[in-house]
Amino acid sequence: MFGGLAPDGVHSRAIGQSATDGLQGEVPSPLQTTQPEPAPEVLQAQKQRIEAMRVASQATVGVFGVDGQGGGSGVCITPDGYVLTNFHVSSPFGHRMRCGLNDGKMYEAVVAGIDPTGDLAVLKMYGREDFPVAKIGDSDRVRVGQWCFAAGNPFVLATNLQPTVTYGLISGVRRYQYPAGTILEYSDCIQTDAAINPGNSGGPLFNAQGELIGINGRCSFEKRGRVNVGVGYAISIRQAMNFFWHLRSGRVLDHATLGFTVATDAKGKVTVSNILESSDAYRRGLRYGDEILRLDDRQIGTTNQLKNVTGIFPPQWRVALRFRNETDTVDTAIRLQNLHLPSELEEIVKGESSEEPRAPPKSPQQEPEDTPNPESPDTEQPKPGEPPKGAPPGRGLRGKEGASRKEKDSLADRYETKRGFSNYYFNRVELDRIVALQKPRNQWPKSDEAWVLSGTVVGETTNVQTRVTDGVIGFTLGDKTESVDSKRGWTPWIQQQSLVSLAFALRTWQQWHQSGPRMMGEAIYIGRSPLVGRTGLFDTTRITLGEVDSVIYTSPETGTIECIELFTDNQSDPAEIYFEKVQRNGGREIPERVRLAFGLETRLVVDIARSEWEPGTVLDSGKEDAGKEKGGD
Amino acid sequence: MKFRVPIFLAVIIAEFLANAPMQSLARESFGPVDSGAERIDASEESDLEVLLGRAERSVVKLYGAGGARGLESYQSGVVVGDGSLILTSWSTVLDVDKVRVVTFDGRRLDAEIAGVDPQCELALLRVPNSGLLGFELDPQNIAKIGQRVFAITNLFGIAAGNEACSSQKGVVMAMSPLTTRKGAMKTLYQGRVVVVDVMTNNPGATGGALIDLSGRLVGIVGKELRDEQAGIWLNYALPMDVIKNSVDRILSGQANMAAANTQAVPQPHRLNDLGIALIPDVIPKTPAFIDWVREDSIAARSGLKSNDLILLVNDSRVDSRKGLERILSTINRGDSFAVLVQRGQELIKIQVRP
Repeated sequence: MFGGLAPDGVHSRAIGQSATDGLQGEVPSPLQTTQPEPAPEVLQAQKQRIEAMRVASQATVGVFGVDGQGGGSGVCITPDGYVLTNFHVSSPFGHRMRCGLNDGKMYEAVVAGIDPTGDLAVLKMYGREDFPVAKIGDSDRVRVGQWCFAAGNPFVLATNLQPTVTYGLISGVRRYQYPAGTILEYSDCIQTDAAINPGNSGGPLFNAQGELIGINGRCSFEKRGRVNVGVGYAISIRQAMNFFWHLRSGRVLDHATLGFTVATDAKGKVTVSNILESSDAYRRGLRYGDEILRLDDRQIGTTNQLKNVTGIFPPQWRVALRFRNETDTVDTAIRLQNLHLPSELEEIVKGESSEEPRAPPKSPQQEPEDTPNPESPDTEQPKPGEPPKGAPPGRGLRGKEGASRKEKDSLADRYETKRGFSNYYFNRVELDRIVALQKPRNQWPKSDEAWVLSGTVVGETTNVQTRVTDGVIGFTLGDKTESVDSKRGWTPWIQQQSLVSLAFALRTWQQWHQSGPRMMGEAIYIGRSPLVGRTGLFDTTRITLGEVDSVIYTSPETGTIECIELFTDNQSDPAEIYFEKVQRNGGREIPERVRLAFGLETRLVVDIARSEWEPGTVLDSGKEDAGKEKGGD
Repeated sequence: MKFRVPIFLAVIIAEFLANAPMQSLARESFGPVDSGAERIDASEESDLEVLLGRAERSVVKLYGAGGARGLESYQSGVVVGDGSLILTSWSTVLDVDKVRVVTFDGRRLDAEIAGVDPQCELALLRVPNSGLLGFELDPQNIAKIGQRVFAITNLFGIAAGNEACSSQKGVVMAMSPLTTRKGAMKTLYQGRVVVVDVMTNNPGATGGALIDLSGRLVGIVGKELRDEQAGIWLNYALPMDVIKNSVDRILSGQANMAAANTQAVPQPHRLNDLGIALIPDVIPKTPAFIDWVREDSIAARSGLKSNDLILLVNDSRVDSRKGLERILSTINRGDSFAVLVQRGQELIKIQVRP
C-alpha cells in the first residue's frame, strides 16, 4: 500500500512513476504489483515517518478533568512540564486537570495563563522534571503540499493514553478565520486535511520531520455534523511561542490592535481609513489615507493579511511598519495596544468557564459554521466494566484513589486567584525566577546613601550627574540642575519628554537592585517581549510606582536590566532608557552607558565614568521608608 | 393570480434584496500583489509543493448569487485551454449578469457565461485576459482506482482575496455511475463519476480541480450530493472524457447560436399565445420558471407543466425570463421548437408544436 501514500521526499519518484504505479492498474488484486518489493526510498521514508511519529507522540498530552472526565489534547514543550493547549479545552475544567502521556501515566496539572482571544492556554504538569518535549519547528516555513500529522485525543479515544495520529497535507497557509460567535479569532493559521476532530483541540500539528508547527483547534463543519470534513486549522507555533512566556505569567491575556483600521481601495492599496490620535501609530506619523506597505516584514495587500500579522503578537510588543504618505516611504515601529478592556476580558472568561460542557449537536444542520471544537465530555460514556476514562487504576500520579484525591487537592498550593489572572501563583513563580537571576548582583548599600553617577554626554564634553536618594532625585546637565521628589511628580517631566527621565530610570535601577521588584510597588510579570534593535526576547516586569508604570526588561539568561520604560498613560510616549553597557562590580551591576529615547528618537546618551555612594545627607522623606531597606525576597 | 415561488428562487430574491455580501465584494478590487508570504529557496521545496503551488494558480474563486438558506454564493472554477475559459459547475451561483472571478493573486475579473451543459451540470465562463495558465482537457486522462489525487477547491470559501484555494489529498476509490443511486441522490447528472476517499465535496468546492501526481486535470469536483436514505455525503468528480465531451458540446452550441438567425421575426411566438405564464420578473435574472400553463394551450398539449424550469430553447441557453422572451422573438409563430426543462431532478426534452 505504498504507492499513493508516499510522504514528502519521495514524490520526485512517485510523480514520475504514477503511470506505472502498481496500484493504479485495472487488475483488482493488490498483490499483482509490478514491483515485488517497495523501493528502498519508500521504505526509508516510511521508517522516518514512523520514527517522527514515535518521538512526537511522547510529547503529546491527553487533557482530562480531575475525575477523568472529558478530554482534549495538548503538547508538552518544556522538560519541567509546561503544556500548550487551547483555551477552549482548559476552560471547562477550571484551573485543575490531569494530563496523560503515552508513558501510560496521568500527571496532575494546573492552569497557568489563558488567552481567550487566541484560544491558547498553558498548563503545568507535575511529577517529573524530564518530561518529553516536542521540538519547536518554524511555522513560517510551512507550505501547501508539505505533509504533516496531528496527534491527540480525538473523540476521547486515548483511554490507554496512547495518542491518535492522523496524517495529512498542508492545505493552506496564513489563513484568517473570523471570530465565530465568541471572540476566538484564528489569525495566520495553518489549514490541513489531516483529520482533526473534537478532542484533537489543543493538540500538536507536526511537520513530516516531527517538529511542532501548530496547535490544532478549529474546523470547518457547517452542515455535516461535528466530524472532520477535511478542513482543520492550527494556530501557528510562531504565534503560540510569542505568547508562551506571557501565558506562563498566569495572566488572562489580551490580543492586540494597531490603533487604526484600513480599507482596500479600487487600486488594491491598503490605506488607513481611521486612526486613533492616541495610538502609537499616530505618534509615529501615520495618518488617514496613508498606504500600509509592510507590517513585521510581511507585505500587506489585503485587510486579512494585516489582521493575520496583528493577531500573532501580544499587545505592547513593537512591530515594524512601513507605510507611504504623500511624499515619503516611512519605516518605523509601532507599539501594539490592547484589543479589549480588562472588564471585557473578565466577562468573556466568566462566560466561557461557566459554560456547561457542550452536548453533541441535535442535528447536523444546527451546527454553526466554523465552531471551535471543544472536547465533548459527554459524547463518550465509559462502558460498563471499563475503567473510568482517563483514570486507569493504579496509574495516578501519586497512586491514590479518586476518593482520596477529592479529600485534598495535591496542587492546592499551586493555585491563587487574583483579578486579571487565571492563576496568580505562576506570576509569583516567574518573578521569583527573575529575582533569583539577579540575586548575586544585588548587594547594594543601605538606602539612606545617595547613589551618585557622574559622566559625560557621548561625543561632547558636557558633564552629567545623577544623584538619587529615597527622598530626592537630582539631575545635572552642564550647569543646570533639576530636583524631583523620588516618589511622586514624575508625570509632567516624562510627558514633556524631559531629560530628567534618565535619572528616574536610574532611581528605578537602584530600587530594583536594592529592595527587589516587589518592594517597589505592585509588580507583575508580563512575559517576554522584544526590544527595538535587539534580537531575542526579554523578561518583562511591570511595576506600578505611584502614577507611573515602569516596565523593566531583563535578560532571560543573566537577569541584567536591558531597558526601563516609564509610562504615564497610554496616550503619550513613554520614556525609554536603554542600558547599553553595564559594568559588573563585585556584587553590583552599574550602568556604563545609558541612552534615553522617546518614541524611536534618541535624546541623550551618557557615558558614566564614576559611581559613588555618599552617606545619608539630603534625606527628608527617606526615613519613613526604612522598612523597605531589607528588601529582597 | 396564484403566486408560487420555488424555494431557491425565493432565496435568490431575498438575497437580491438584502444584497450586502455581493455588493461589498464587488466594490473591492485588488491589483496584482505579492502573496505576502516570504518565499523560501525553491531548492527547499518538495516536488509536491511545486506541483500544488503551480496547480492552485489555475483554480479560481467564483462569486455570484446565493448566500442564504444553505445556498452558497461562491464556488470554484478551473481555468482551461488558453486561459480565457473557466470550467465550473452549473449552479444558482451563476444566476448573475457577471460572475466575479478572484484569482490566486487576488485579481478580480468579471466572467460571462459562454454556455452551459445541463446534462453534466457544467458551465463554461469566458474571461478576457485572465493571465492564467489553463489545464489541458485530455479525455484520455481517466482516473484509475487506487490513484493518488489532489482536490484544489475553494471549499467553505476559506481562501479570500489573494489567498490560493485549498489543497486536499485523496485516493480514487471507485469509478461508478450516479444512476445506481437514482432516487437516493438529487442530481441531474447521472453519468460516471470518480469517487474519492476523502471529503472533497464541501460547500463551495464544486467546480474545483481534481489533479493527479503529474499535475494533470483528472476531474472537476461535483456538486454536494447526499444520499437521502443513508445520510451519507458523496465525494466525487466528473471524469475527463465526460468533461471533454461536455465542453465540446457547449462550444459547438455557441457556434450554432452564432450561425443561427438571431434577428427578431415579424410574427414570433409569444408566451401568452403559447399558454405559458412565468413567475413575475422581479430580479435582473429571474429564472424562466413556468408559473402555470393554460388548459388546452399549445404549451399544455406539448407537455409543459407548471414549475418546469426552462433551460434551453433550440439548444440556446435561457438565462432568465427576459432571455426566454428574446429567444422566442426570433422563432416564427408557425415553427416548432425544442425546449429542455428541469422538472424536479429530471431533465426533459419537449418539442413545442404550434
